[in-house]
Parts: sequence; structure tokens; C-alpha cells
Amino acid sequence: MTSSPNSDEIFAKVCELLKPYNPQNRPIYRESGIMSDLEVDSVAVFDLVMGLEDHYDISIPMEMVSDIKTVGELVNAIKELTSE
Amino acid sequence: MSSLFDKYAPLKTRVDMMMKIGQDALGVQFDDILDATRGRIGNREILLAGTNNYLGLTFDEDCMEAAKRAVESHGTGTTGSRVANGSYAEHIDLEKALADHLGMPSCIVFTTGYQTNLAAIAGLAGDKDVIFMDADAHACIIDGTRLTGASTIRFRHNSPEDLDKRLQRRGEIEGGNALVVIEGMYSMFGDIAPVDEFVDVTHRHGGYLYIDEAHSYGVFGPNGCGIAEEQGVLDKIDFISGTFSKSLASVGGFCASRHKEFEITRKIMRPYMFTASATPSNIAAARAAVEKVKTGGHLRSNLKERAEQLHTGLKEMGYDLCAEASPVIAVRRPNEAVAAMEWNWLIENGVYVNLAVPPGTPQSSSLLRISLSAAHTEENINTILKAFGELKNAQGEMMQNMAAKLAAE
Repeated sequence: MTSSPNSDEIFAKVCELLKPYNPQNRPIYRESGIMSDLEVDSVAVFDLVMGLEDHYDISIPMEMVSDIKTVGELVNAIKELTSE
Repeated sequence: MSSLFDKYAPLKTRVDMMMKIGQDALGVQFDDILDATRGRIGNREILLAGTNNYLGLTFDEDCMEAAKRAVESHGTGTTGSRVANGSYAEHIDLEKALADHLGMPSCIVFTTGYQTNLAAIAGLAGDKDVIFMDADAHACIIDGTRLTGASTIRFRHNSPEDLDKRLQRRGEIEGGNALVVIEGMYSMFGDIAPVDEFVDVTHRHGGYLYIDEAHSYGVFGPNGCGIAEEQGVLDKIDFISGTFSKSLASVGGFCASRHKEFEITRKIMRPYMFTASATPSNIAAARAAVEKVKTGGHLRSNLKERAEQLHTGLKEMGYDLCAEASPVIAVRRPNEAVAAMEWNWLIENGVYVNLAVPPGTPQSSSLLRISLSAAHTEENINTILKAFGELKNAQGEMMQNMAAKLAAE
């Protein structure tokens, strides 16, 4: 059985998958607001989440995504789901 | 101190850019609507190619006569909800007619199409259920899921394989059920769902399939029942919703089910219970239109021919089209500013289409979206094609104008 990914690995993956939705190449920090700072639109956020679900083989329900505002919160949610 | 409206600053920047380029594409004002395919703005006649009037029945004599008779018999409004003020004979008659047309034991009508999905999805899914929703689902489906306590998982657009994977991944739903929500024809790209495959996957996992046929009821299938009928699986669909504001040339919506227990939801659906019911005239017009749908093979066949004519013509001009030929033909443009500029050029030259931009569109695309009508003639399509041809030739001049407008204060 593979061990669950650590927070830095997840952050790196999120940054990688965020690239196509961040054409202006804004710097991405854990504190960055996904919609407010990076200006990723609501539909694109859900597309990003589908990619993360497939990569980590987890389900991230939409109601959970609605509560996630920052990149760091997204990383924490994935960390929690992959540890289960 | 900040203002309540500060949060809309990025949106305002987008709107300001559009207004510099031309008029507000999301706030067009027609001075007159002449018939199903013609409107008037000032002294210009406009060919309507963006009104979802798929069967062209808004000026049908029988539908208009039915609406007039309903006003004369039962007045202009119902002044309240069906639970408070009671149902009119028109509501009951339409529910029976739609249930009969779809071959289902239960059908409920609602005041708008938006409220239909809002009410039915929220009414069907409880706290322990899980909704699986197509990634390109309409806003009213998304909003319906938000009214529930159910968990919602999105699957890749039109992919039964991806749905299968996500149902598998989610595993057993303890104490609840899976409700899979798809559409027949998707409103933005005009692409069609493989409903037959979705039936297989959903039922293999023990789930229920809900299909929104808002853009496909009346348009597809030998009897006009929609994509599920066209693909031979209508009797396997658990819930089928639709609207009166497209093929049925009125305002309102319906949800029918092969499960007669669906009737119980009338007692819990908030957008059904706490809103005024549809007016007698709206319902009567839709009821007359259902009869037109049943016998509308000639309308569907003209609509199909016009769609193929336009699709072929635009393709030959080199336009990037989002799907195969259907009554919705979406032309993909490089960005929002170009799409807005071209939309303005088209309406100034007498053709009304829709400007569709993110986040209302899939893949963050900017579109010139055309919806066709059975009332469109071959000549009408030639007019649209001519406009799109001239639009290509006018690109250089338009770009210069746009640059000047955007630079100006």
C-alpha cells in the first residue's frame, strides 16, 4: 500500500493543475484565494477539482468545494481525504 | 468604508469593456416582436436566431387562441400557489396530457423551467443521497443540488465511463441512493448525451436517472418526447424534466416520472409550494403546443434540415463549431472581446444570436450561439450565412474600431 502524500507534495500538484486556469501566471501561495486572487471562475474551480479527484482517487463533493476559498484550504482538504 | 457593491468590481470591468465595444448583449431591448423569427429594434428588422423557439409555435393560431380563451374563462392570474389557492382545471389537464405523452404515471407542472429542476432535484435528494451531476449541467441543476443536504459529485461531460468510475469510487451509499442528473441536448454547445449508455451505468449501480430535456423535448424523437425517446430508452428514465419556454412556446416547466410515488414530492418541494402557479393562459398555450409536438414530425424535419444547412455552411467558411449539427449551433470565438464585437456587428446587420461567455459556458469558451426554429426558412439560413460570411471579411475594420473604442475614455 502506498503512503498518503504530504502537504508539500499536494501543494505542488495543485499548483501544477492550476496552471491552465492561471494564464496570467500569477504567483500561487497557500494564502491565495482561488477565485478572488487567481481569478479562476467557478466552473473552472470544479474542473480543477475533478482533475485532483482523479489524481488522488478520492471524491471531493461540490458542497466541500464551496467552502474552500484558498489554495491552502484545498490542500488541507485533499490531505484529509487521502489520509482516510 | 467599503461599499456593498465593491465585490462586483471585476465584473463591472468586464461589463464596462463590453459597453465600450457596443451595446449590452445581455440586455437587448426589442421594440417589437413581429413573429417567431422576426423582431424590430428602432426601424431595423432583426432576424431572430437566438430565442430557443425550436418549433416556432409562439405565434401559432391554435396556441394563441387557447391562451386567449383561458384568459376569458379563468382570468389573468392565479394570485397564489397551488397548495394555497388550489389547482385550476388547466394545470391538471396539462399534467395528464404530458404524463400521457411521455407514457409515465406521474407529472407535475411548475411555474418556470428554472424552478422545475430546482424543485424536483431538491425534492428528490435527501441528506443521505448522493447526486452525480454532469459537469456541463445548467445553473438550475447546480442550484437545485445546493438546496439539498445531499452530497454532489460532478462527472466529466457526456462520459458514462467517467460516471461509472465515480460511482465506483464513491462506493456504497449507506442509507441513501444515487441520483444521476444529465441533460438531453446541452444548451450551450448543442451536443447530445448518450442517454442509453447513462441508463445502463446508472441502473447497474442501482441509481436513479434524471434527465433534463429542456432543449430537446419537442425537438427529438418520433413523437417529440426528446433524446431519451430518440435513443429508445424513454421507458427506462426515472425522471424527465422539461420547460414550456422553448418548444412549448410559453412559460413554465414539468417533471414526469415512471415512479408514481413521485406525487408525494408535491408536499415538500419549496419552489412548487411557495410560488404562484402558472397563469391559465400560459398553461393553456403549452397544452395546445403539446398537441403540436405530437403531430410535429414536419416541424422537426424542417428544423433538422435547417440545422444541417447552417452547420454545413458555417463549417465551409472555416468557423470552429462546438458540436455536430443540431438546433443549437455554437461558434467558438478566440475571446470575449472579439465575440462581443462580432455580436454587435451581427445585430447591427440584422441578425440576433446569443453572446455566451464564461462562466456560463463550458471550457471557459466565448461563443456566438445560434438557436434555430422550425419557422426558419431556407432563405433565413442563407441570410445568417451571408452575415457570418461578411463578418469574416469585416474582421480588419472591426479590429481597428475595437482598438479605438477600447483606447477611448
